[in-house]
Amino acid sequence: MTGLALDSTQLDRYSRHIILDEVGPAGQQALLEGSALVVGAGGLGSPVIQYLAAAGVGRLGVADDDEVERSNLQRQIVHADADVGRPKAESAAEYVRRLNPDVDVEPHETWLDAGNAEDLIGGYDIVVDASDNFGTRYLVNDVARLTDTPVAHGSIYKFEGQATTLRPDGPCYRCLFPEAPEPGEIPDCASTGVLGVLPGTVGCIQATEAVKLLLEAGEVLDGRLLFYDAMDMTFETVPYRRNPECPVCGDEAIDSIEGIDYDHGCSVTAD
Amino acid sequence: MDVTCEVVGEGTETLLLADDATYADVCRATGYSPHEVTVLVDGSPVPEDAPVESSEVKVLRLIKGG
Repeated sequence: MTGLALDSTQLDRYSRHIILDEVGPAGQQALLEGSALVVGAGGLGSPVIQYLAAAGVGRLGVADDDEVERSNLQRQIVHADADVGRPKAESAAEYVRRLNPDVDVEPHETWLDAGNAEDLIGGYDIVVDASDNFGTRYLVNDVARLTDTPVAHGSIYKFEGQATTLRPDGPCYRCLFPEAPEPGEIPDCASTGVLGVLPGTVGCIQATEAVKLLLEAGEVLDGRLLFYDAMDMTFETVPYRRNPECPVCGDEAIDSIEGIDYDHGCSVTAD
Repeated sequence: MDVTCEVVGEGTETLLLADDATYADVCRATGYSPHEVTVLVDGSPVPEDAPVESSEVKVLRLIKGG
């Protein structure tokens, strides 16, 4: 790839990428030809959407069925006061259109479920899991594995965050957390609170991983979970391995998500 | 038996457990329900009802916020 496909405006816009040896014109072209689905346009999804759009990821899907609430604005920085009441997917898409005309943004005002996940996730090069519930997280993991789609995962709680990257040939989220807790067992941000800047840090890590996946450069958080404590300002890496008995990526892996109840425990039962 | 347990993000402590303790007992000894965490031995989760056979474990909390 010579980079000749970049026009003069793009050479200017992405000049700080292009002069990096690790990116260069070919890498920037790869970003412009790449695609990413961001599941969730909330706290984590906001910086992910912003940085992937700024980086020139050519096709950016945003899946969220929620509407912007005023209590979101302390951390969901892709939305503004005037967006309260609007669909988050459309609000985020409008932000992207204003930021970078190179990006073809695709808002999906829908709840990701077992009926639409394969079509949605399979239509993109990578998926960024910025969701806020276990059902969606396990669904993203399972469908991404079945469609050979890498996942940049992130999650947050009060002052701490976790990030890991799931490649098709590496361990999956179920290798680390085999089953989800029942609904209500783990508190959410609405009931416990969350530091507003926290998803900014974790979302930026996810965006970094997403860009590296599209560039096929660097070392991603494959088989490593990064734990971030904002109060202590510490990062810890927890290594984990592929589980041969994992029902989704192990030796006897499933070939469809049929029968998995993503509303209750997300367990995979044997045939 | 003594088990060195790191709760990721909280620190490391030595747990004194019964000889027939399970990994669920490890969870409870750290103040968590087995549904809230995963116990890792050498980078792999272990079943909560399995007897404790390792002297070093990591406990990792599940979080879901986005």
